[in-house]
Amino acid sequence: MEDRGGNDVPASIPSGEQMVWADVSPLIAAACNDLHDGELIHGENFNLFAAMSALEIMDPKMDSGMERNGFHSIEEAIENGAAPIPLSLDRTVDVQRCIDVMDRLFSCEATWHRGHSLAQTVFSCIYLLRIERTSTHPLLHSYCRIMRSTCDVVITAVSDARTHEEEDFFTTAYGLPLKGDGDEKCLSLLNSVEETVSRQLRACKAQASRKKLCDDIGSLQTNPDLEEGYCRAVLCRLRFRKHFYHALVCMRKPQGRGLELAKKHVMSCLSELGSMSKSVEFLRSNAGGPSDGEIECRTTASGKQPFGFDANINSRLSAPTPPRAIQILSWKQAIEFFEKLLNDLDAIFSLPLDLSLEDILQSLVQFQKSQPDLVARAHLQLLLVQDGKLYGKYPFHVVISRALVLPEGTSDQAFQENEFVVQLGQLTINLIKILCTNNAWQRRKLGKILQDWGVISIQLELAFRREFDEMLKFSADEILLTRLSKRLLVWAEEKTYWIASRFLLLGFQLELYSPKEYCMVYWYMYVIFVNLLEKMQMRISYPVDDSRRKGKKKRDLAKDVGLESGVGASSSCMLVQCYVYISEGLTMMLAALHNERQIFQISSPFNSEHERFIQHFELLQRANVPPHISYHLFMKSTTHVQISNVVKHNYFREVQRILASLRGSFSGDSNKLLELHQLEQVVEHNRIALSVIDKVGASDPSLEIRFEFQHHPFFPVAVVKRS
Amino acid sequence: MEAPAGDQEPEPSEIEYLSYGGEHHLPLIMSLVDEELSEPYSIFTYRYFVYLWPNLTYLAFHRGKCVGTVVCKMGEHRSTFRGYIAMLVVIKPYRGKGIATELVTRAIRVIMESGCEEVTLEAEVTNKGALALYGRLGFIRAKRLFRYYLNGVDAFRLKLLFPRLEAPFPVNQSETNDHLAESHFAYC
Repeated sequence: MEDRGGNDVPASIPSGEQMVWADVSPLIAAACNDLHDGELIHGENFNLFAAMSALEIMDPKMDSGMERNGFHSIEEAIENGAAPIPLSLDRTVDVQRCIDVMDRLFSCEATWHRGHSLAQTVFSCIYLLRIERTSTHPLLHSYCRIMRSTCDVVITAVSDARTHEEEDFFTTAYGLPLKGDGDEKCLSLLNSVEETVSRQLRACKAQASRKKLCDDIGSLQTNPDLEEGYCRAVLCRLRFRKHFYHALVCMRKPQGRGLELAKKHVMSCLSELGSMSKSVEFLRSNAGGPSDGEIECRTTASGKQPFGFDANINSRLSAPTPPRAIQILSWKQAIEFFEKLLNDLDAIFSLPLDLSLEDILQSLVQFQKSQPDLVARAHLQLLLVQDGKLYGKYPFHVVISRALVLPEGTSDQAFQENEFVVQLGQLTINLIKILCTNNAWQRRKLGKILQDWGVISIQLELAFRREFDEMLKFSADEILLTRLSKRLLVWAEEKTYWIASRFLLLGFQLELYSPKEYCMVYWYMYVIFVNLLEKMQMRISYPVDDSRRKGKKKRDLAKDVGLESGVGASSSCMLVQCYVYISEGLTMMLAALHNERQIFQISSPFNSEHERFIQHFELLQRANVPPHISYHLFMKSTTHVQISNVVKHNYFREVQRILASLRGSFSGDSNKLLELHQLEQVVEHNRIALSVIDKVGASDPSLEIRFEFQHHPFFPVAVVKRS
Repeated sequence: MEAPAGDQEPEPSEIEYLSYGGEHHLPLIMSLVDEELSEPYSIFTYRYFVYLWPNLTYLAFHRGKCVGTVVCKMGEHRSTFRGYIAMLVVIKPYRGKGIATELVTRAIRVIMESGCEEVTLEAEVTNKGALALYGRLGFIRAKRLFRYYLNGVDAFRLKLLFPRLEAPFPVNQSETNDHLAESHFAYC
């Protein structure tokens, strides 16, 4: 084939039988000459917007097929010795290099979990891409098989959880050999290799003299002084993989049956991670690798570059545009990553698998505090909701009936078939799933579902009112239904306000509010907490149905219902009362500072505080949560506030009283006690700050006042400095 | 050795702001953006913006050299008419002088006068400069987008809502939550 210049162009793609290559460069050149600068061929289905997705052929930034340095295919890489089998003819070097491959795969796996593509991480390993080649090398082969099977199990779990489109990048495995014949035997393969190495470790430890023959076939490698070290290094890596795989498989057992066993495997994983970390010194000193400062950034324990990895080998598999170069986590960072992942999985095992929805919701909030990654969250969701039931066992109408105090005489069947109960069941399932997503997505979804909860509340209210109006005409059944609608309404409204409070609180975690907006945010939080408290108190005020109490000991009842009534409930209310006072106190303090010091002024050329208010609370307002709240009301409440008013009302002192009595109720619950402590710090510091500001004078220019979240995640402390 | 005259600190009055004037401005914009931002845009992407909304692209010049640019669009999105700031670049030596603020302000003014209800854009959560700039102009952080960028960094969706022309607020406020104003906040 000749190009325009008459030179031979190498045919990198051979012509086939029914195919001939023709050089159209002259045609394209002529077409280009016809167009002027700025002109675009405008076809029926090709406009400017569509043109944005155009490929620029032969631009290395945009064309992933573009020739570049490096291998063009996996086969070419293999032919050029990029992934030798064995990794060395010297058995000691072979083991070293094999461990390096394992370590790099480990780092790649952590990088994948952190949000990069499978193709650029785990599957940048040529050994993994052509796994059959490794069958002559049992150690490498078994590790690759279990690695691949683990990826497959994890992807299946995340796909099943169907979290949402923002995180489905994780499961993209187009064109990658995720599964293969013989993968189901990966565990037995691994076990037999583990057994062999384990035996070898016992043998070399038992030797009276270490000067054993170098060519002993059973030995891992040829240097008898190093045999124990390498056996240990290999074993902990194999065992980590084994226990991790087992843990993941156990967690998928239906109805949480495998959780106890999964916990044991997770503990073993953590222990093996410890052994892996201990192997670092040995591997580094014997590898003869670099001992520079960069060693901490390396993706292997030994610090040496591993064989068999090519970052670009899969670049044509992804989008037409080449993927950006990514940074693989260092081996040390990977260890830390897996420690965190395992601890997050462990947190799932400590969940109380009971029927209390309140407990579940609180546990979910607690679980999310450590910002667990997708894999942990997906597994939690799969545990909680299976086949439309809680833990795959309890239908949600049972969960709801436990959360309510049902009117005397309500039959289970009538309850189950009640249309509102069915709908509320669906809303609850959806809520639980949303609470398992990452915080950013979660907040948006919580804002959206407020509409759904609001709608059902309106429907319940209509049902209740309509029936109430015509009470005299109704049968006993219908009166019962009315009472039920009322209880469901109170429960639904309480849940709605709880969702609204989570929506607002997450804004702090996500750093969505600027200090200029704190005043309106705390004001809205105050309003939401007041309403939440009201609904909680209404729910608790219903007398417990005596017929359900028959035969139950008081202690069992209290345990049964948990936070739903009794001591648990009233302490929850007291905590929300604290939130009410603190929110109010902060609102007033911020308003007073705004009024007297002119700080936190919003002075944009394009809009005012009113627009910011509308935007921040749009979803709440749209759902009427609560009704009749407006910027105007906020202004009325805050425009004339002065520091002296705030000091007089002593919000923070009120909270201190309540916190003192809460200590007793929360004893034994370390998370709750921690929050009590944090709240104590917040109110004490703010109380003091207030009195300082009051004494010096709020408008005194020598004062410097900032609000910082030093103690509590969503209540700040006023930090006052005098210059 | 004296520094060449061109390196002196520019006075704000020395910066000239021009609306997109045609094809001759396109290479200036492209080279600025290609240099500073890491996303690979094709020429078609630039053409899409400057052809359809030439009045929403501004360039900043200092002594004939292009030192900054802003590129925007506007249109209907889910029944709201809104503007979108696609690219904003000022070259390093000219940062911190209010050039970016001026470029953005001019564009937003046009967007507002064209009848849009709001303006939006995305910015990295780590981009303190941009967040401060837009915050001063009245943008709020409406949403956080998890790992929005290819390097794994989150983004904020920033939104600016223009004031709506409404009837003056009625004196008779409706029932219920008024009690919050009366009983709890009666400090007047």
